[in-house]
Amino acid sequence: MKIFVYVFLLLLLIFRFYVTRPVYKNGQTLTLTQKVLQEPVRYASYQSVTLTGLKIYLPLYPEIVYGDEIKVTGIYEDGKLTKAKLISVVSSGGLFNFRKQLIEFYQQNLPEPHASLVAGIVLGSKSSIPETFWNELKLTGVAHVVVASGTNVTFVAGFLISLFTLCFPRRKSVLLVIIAIWLYAVISGLESPIIRAAIMASVALSAQALGKLALAWKTLILTVYMMLVYQPAWIGDVGFIMTFVSVISLMLFQKKMEIILSFLPKVIKEGLSTSLAAQIGVAPILFVTFGQFNILSPLINALVLWTVGPIMMIGAISALLRIRYLLYLVYPLTWWFINIVGLFSV
Amino acid sequence: MVHKYSRLILGIEFLVAAAVWLAASSVDDKFHLIACNVGQGDAILAVYGRTEILVDGGPDRKVLDCLGKYMPFWDRTIELVILTHPEKDHYGGLTDVFTRYHIDNFMFNDLQVSSPDYQALLSLVGGSVGRVIRPLKGQHLRLGLMSLDIENPDATPKTELNLYSVVAELRFGGFSSLLTGDIPNFTFGAKHHVQYIKVPHHGSKNGLTASLLEETTPDLAVISVGVNTYGHPSPETLKMLNEYGVKYLRTDQVGDVEIISDGKNWKVK
Repeated sequence: MKIFVYVFLLLLLIFRFYVTRPVYKNGQTLTLTQKVLQEPVRYASYQSVTLTGLKIYLPLYPEIVYGDEIKVTGIYEDGKLTKAKLISVVSSGGLFNFRKQLIEFYQQNLPEPHASLVAGIVLGSKSSIPETFWNELKLTGVAHVVVASGTNVTFVAGFLISLFTLCFPRRKSVLLVIIAIWLYAVISGLESPIIRAAIMASVALSAQALGKLALAWKTLILTVYMMLVYQPAWIGDVGFIMTFVSVISLMLFQKKMEIILSFLPKVIKEGLSTSLAAQIGVAPILFVTFGQFNILSPLINALVLWTVGPIMMIGAISALLRIRYLLYLVYPLTWWFINIVGLFSV
Repeated sequence: MVHKYSRLILGIEFLVAAAVWLAASSVDDKFHLIACNVGQGDAILAVYGRTEILVDGGPDRKVLDCLGKYMPFWDRTIELVILTHPEKDHYGGLTDVFTRYHIDNFMFNDLQVSSPDYQALLSLVGGSVGRVIRPLKGQHLRLGLMSLDIENPDATPKTELNLYSVVAELRFGGFSSLLTGDIPNFTFGAKHHVQYIKVPHHGSKNGLTASLLEETTPDLAVISVGVNTYGHPSPETLKMLNEYGVKYLRTDQVGDVEIISDGKNWKVK
């Protein structure tokens, strides 16, 4: 009986691949009206957005932000929309607007690159990171900290569950945390690593609440499957591949790394063992796709990763309460982070 | 539990102390004049204590790096921004400056430019600018211990944007600097010594003139330039500087050029 289920699931996946394949021809004029669900990237003199897998380059103004509904027209050419013209932008309210307000709070109260670093860590927003700092982050192998990654979701889940269990019974807190995780997923951009982490955290938490044993591997495979059925194009998305490879690496190697590094103090050990374990799987992909590999990367990660938790916590609380003096407390941490990254990228 | 909270409190105390220390150490009692390395374009920042003057914003948001590096991190107000003339390599970065900082005074020419980028900048003026000043020859401005004399433009209509460039002499005590935008063929018409000159128009051959060098006899010339297709800085300009024995520094070769002065002596950092 089980075999039929597997065959059915596989067929469904193949079917989805087939029906969602793009059907555009080169030279065809397209007009798209869609919500922007990936944060636009702002370059020095233009911005780029991705709609239904198509890369679109537009002038810097009017500025497009995550969540806007835009109408563009252009000519299809090899996965790109060329000669694109923006016809209209309608900004969405609610959570999308909330994200914008949080980012503006950082930008108006901290200088660059501090503001971008905090926005990147708290919300995975990388669109306004200064070019020089972004290059330094890539060079030192710590760019993963500022892009939308599963770590953020795991951190939020961990923090909230310990907060909620103080005042609510276990089951109720789990439900609240799952809702909060998905709100956070929407605010921080519905990119594949975030969705991956949100699904896995939800499954793990609900299994816990129901008293069932969540098998990490089963959850992982189920998550990959669900995401691919929903959006088959993700199979070629580097972020998607990377987030699963790093999770698999962590599941395989983190415990061993901790044992090997047991002679180190706890603060350093956590960051170093996590980063070394993840690197085993991620480094080859980084090397193949970006041609980058820094032998010192695990050391640099160990030096800066301890600041990420506090930056996220102080950044989130101060922006929610809109207290800028509270935000200033992140400055020593971002100062350390930026200087270490600068030091190692000379 | 007690152990857990005491660690948290210790951490917060450490952060407060570190933030206060960093805040205090980011201000000194010297005058700083920085030609920001913004690529092909101009952005000159003058800082004394927590008073800043920004002359032009470069082509894009790179200017934010410069502001972040040389202003105290808690200071969110720029006392004066001057846009010498409305060309992209001078105003491009100001949009980002205006969305992030409060601007007490904004000095710029009243000229019509239809590009959407410039319109986006103008639309921010109402929200983030305290007072608009139109530049005119003969104006004298004081900001703390810094002072500005406006030498251009005068009231006559001009044939091109560059001719409207704000030319300003910025003084701090005995240190005097001439900021020139993209002005062609500017002269005082008399001897007028300055220590520092920003070479007009990124070193273009229709910027600096021999007569301006003879009048001002500068000790240092700074060329704000990046990768470009215009041939800036031109060999003629560099040759002229060498002939007059004027030492020059280029932002594309050395990055930010920072001058520090106590009002009597000055040096390149």
